[in-house]
Amino acid sequence: MQTLAFWLLFLGFAGAFAAQVAKRVQLIAAAPNTFSVDNLPFRINRFLVDVVLQRRTIRERPVTGLMHALVFWGFVAFGGYTTVEFLRGLGIVDLTQTMWFYGYRVALTPFAIGVLIGILYLLVRRVFVRPIALGDHLSIESIVIALFIATLMITFLLTFRLTEGATAERINWWVHMLVILAFMALIPASKHFHLVVSPVTVFLKSPELGHLPNLDFEKEQVGLETVKDLGSKMALDAFTCVECGRCQANCPAWGAGKELNPKTIILQTQRALLGGARETKLGEVYSEQVLWQCTTCGACENQCPVGIEHLPILIGSRRGLVSNGDAPAYLGAMYNNLERRSNIWGLGYDQRTKFVQSAALETFDPAKHDVLVWLGCAGSFDADFQKSLRSLFGILRAKDVRFGVLSKERCTGDPAKRTGNEYMYQELANGNIEDLKAAAPKTILTSCPHCVKTIGADYAKFGYHVEIVHSSVFVEELLRDGRGKASAEGGAKARAGRDVVTFHDPCYLGRYAGNVDEPRALLERFGADIKEPDRNRDNPFCCGAGGGLLFADKEEEPGSRISDVRFKQLQATGANTVVTACPFCSIMLKGAQASAQADTQFVDLMTFVKDRL
Amino acid sequence: MILVIAEQRGGKLNRATWETIAAAQQLAGITGAPIAILVPGAHAAGAASDLAAAEVKEVVTVESPAFEPYTPDGFAAALRDAIAQLAPAHVLLPHTYQTRDFAPKLAARMDRALLTDVIGVKSAGGGTAFVRPMFQGKLTADVVPLGPAPHFVTFQIGAYRADRAAKGASPAAVRALSVAVDTSAIREKPEPPFQQAKQAVDLSQAERIVSVGRGIKEQSNIDVAKKLAEALGAELAASRPICDAGWLPMERQVGSSGQTVAPKLYLALGISGAIQHLVGMKGSNTVVAINKDPDAPIFEVADYGIVGDLFEIVPAIIEAVKQ
Repeated sequence: MQTLAFWLLFLGFAGAFAAQVAKRVQLIAAAPNTFSVDNLPFRINRFLVDVVLQRRTIRERPVTGLMHALVFWGFVAFGGYTTVEFLRGLGIVDLTQTMWFYGYRVALTPFAIGVLIGILYLLVRRVFVRPIALGDHLSIESIVIALFIATLMITFLLTFRLTEGATAERINWWVHMLVILAFMALIPASKHFHLVVSPVTVFLKSPELGHLPNLDFEKEQVGLETVKDLGSKMALDAFTCVECGRCQANCPAWGAGKELNPKTIILQTQRALLGGARETKLGEVYSEQVLWQCTTCGACENQCPVGIEHLPILIGSRRGLVSNGDAPAYLGAMYNNLERRSNIWGLGYDQRTKFVQSAALETFDPAKHDVLVWLGCAGSFDADFQKSLRSLFGILRAKDVRFGVLSKERCTGDPAKRTGNEYMYQELANGNIEDLKAAAPKTILTSCPHCVKTIGADYAKFGYHVEIVHSSVFVEELLRDGRGKASAEGGAKARAGRDVVTFHDPCYLGRYAGNVDEPRALLERFGADIKEPDRNRDNPFCCGAGGGLLFADKEEEPGSRISDVRFKQLQATGANTVVTACPFCSIMLKGAQASAQADTQFVDLMTFVKDRL
Repeated sequence: MILVIAEQRGGKLNRATWETIAAAQQLAGITGAPIAILVPGAHAAGAASDLAAAEVKEVVTVESPAFEPYTPDGFAAALRDAIAQLAPAHVLLPHTYQTRDFAPKLAARMDRALLTDVIGVKSAGGGTAFVRPMFQGKLTADVVPLGPAPHFVTFQIGAYRADRAAKGASPAAVRALSVAVDTSAIREKPEPPFQQAKQAVDLSQAERIVSVGRGIKEQSNIDVAKKLAEALGAELAASRPICDAGWLPMERQVGSSGQTVAPKLYLALGISGAIQHLVGMKGSNTVVAINKDPDAPIFEVADYGIVGDLFEIVPAIIEAVKQ
């Protein structure tokens, strides 16, 4: 009788679960396939660290993350127990009386207590602490699920106290099983679906932050225009979102009071897919204005614990807009500059030639030179940044590094790519690749982190592979102990009195390239006492320049300028010197400093080192 | 005959028309041909009576439904008929947006040569050469149009001075010309023109600009710059921090996040010359910079640089200008 009843209930709830899952699977299958499993060792390693060990969940919110990990590990541990109880309830086989099952149950006890502690902590946090990242709406469903999980653990622990076959034991068993069944039916339509799909999503997430495959114009690809253009990974992402709000909390646009909220983008994607609005324009799904507020700093994607990739959606949608001529006017002016003069400023290349001559730079020749120095748009034209490059050249010459530059450069295409102007990007990229192939350098050295990402990761998608390093990394290795007397002198300087500085990690250096130790090692070796700002290392707060926003007009509205928010964070360290390692961070933060009428000093990392060499 | 196509809207003449008349008079000096001005569109009479003051043979008004509202099809068709009747050797137009829109179509329909963005006229080996910039102004080319007349030539705005157009002793004759156009062949159906909310201050049109930066130090010191601007008849502009501080309104900001300007004279007071400011004023003809810091990047783009205290130098300049 009980077996029959359980069968009926099981079929009903499992059917509800399957139907909801099937709808989502169908939507994912209907989307253009963007799944990839390249770089398997990396993916397996990340799976172990981020799923099994819960690194990304714990890292940013240590206590909450650990509590989540307790619940997660408990769930995994309970997998066998639940299976055995289901087999028994369905009358297939009863393994509950075996010795090993008793041992398994005993071993589960600490896990059960862990889950109980974890879920109660999370419940209190959600209901009473109510962090802003979870949204301003209290989710009743989350409370129900939390109470379910607590009930499961309590009913499990009670089994040790109840006699097998007694009425109390039977009721306890039924409560446990009914809660599991109800839980199953609730999962797919809620953010708790992440416990089914997030391991898959994490595994399928691209190893490259901000992975944007080239558009194939031969196949008339123009980017994402409508809901039906969203790829399968994007659809999977939409159903994986657990709404934890780490993306939101780390988004510089959201942090500066803009409308963009990466979490909202994912939830809007989910709603659009479930609503079947396949022909709806993405500019309407997300709002065009919001799409142009992204600096492409990558914080959302990098902090996401469940493997969601925001940048392909944001930049993909920009591509769709640009293809239809719907870019903001300020980008039109920048595109004009790129088209006519191949640089973002629209200046004539005679200015670069003047700099190359005055700095006595030789044209790169692989027979004569060890490295090719890539100047970039800033290095070619920004007199302020050229001071930093002169410092770099000074260091290289002092260490007998033989280097040269290309006789001509174009913009790498970074601002075109990140703003979705793929056609212009490819034109610039192909021209540069041709020149670089002809010059045939083994190593490229640059002081611009954006050029590192574009030449290093994006040009690889055209089949051009080259080692490109940021000057901080190159110079740190160059001046490491045993390779010169510099560190001894630096040490002497260090003893004489340390400079109190703060270091602003550029997003494309700290987050994208992961070079967080080298700049700090250099600073410390040359006598700096680093005061770390809020948001540092591989999770810096963006300066506001990326994604074409260097050129944005009216960037003070809505909210405030991202650069002003970051400048205040740097000021709050108490250090009066800000060290930068990216020309665009330097432009933005100096602008914020000038507007704040602050007397904060700025120094580029290379100049800091050169002055103390 | 040299035919100048005037540009007017609602009887209001585009100033560039006078520049083209000046060019036509130079061309007439070489070829000896008489000049006629064609004024197309409704209310042409008003503009025509203004233009009659020029030293030309005649002014011809052409009113046709094909001109209203402006469409490239309508303009090309009506002007083609008018040109056929007048049979000029040269057709001269100001290189305005409207000209850029219809002139290529008109020339192509008539299968005649079109020279655009011309900045000068000179005689060359018995013929006439037109000077036009190439490679973004790095080189100029003397172009002699071949093929049958008329040759179409458009003149870059600002290449000739409007006030150099010679005026006649007595007003030139004004006559009306009628053209036959099949308006049903006009394919464009334009919506009524609209103007985007205009900025209160349009620095892009200013001939002289006095621009202040952080070196001005205090809000009260803006007056010094204001006085200099008044003395020079210049517009006042600023770099970002000045506008952020509210010392001058945001619409006076020059730079990548403000306005792009191209005055004849740009006077930078206490501006260091960050790149995002420089790109907003790089089109300036002559840049004069006053800054305390000899290493300031502004000196990289300045034609004249003064290293020193702007509070000593600016009053001296005001004094000198007044004299």
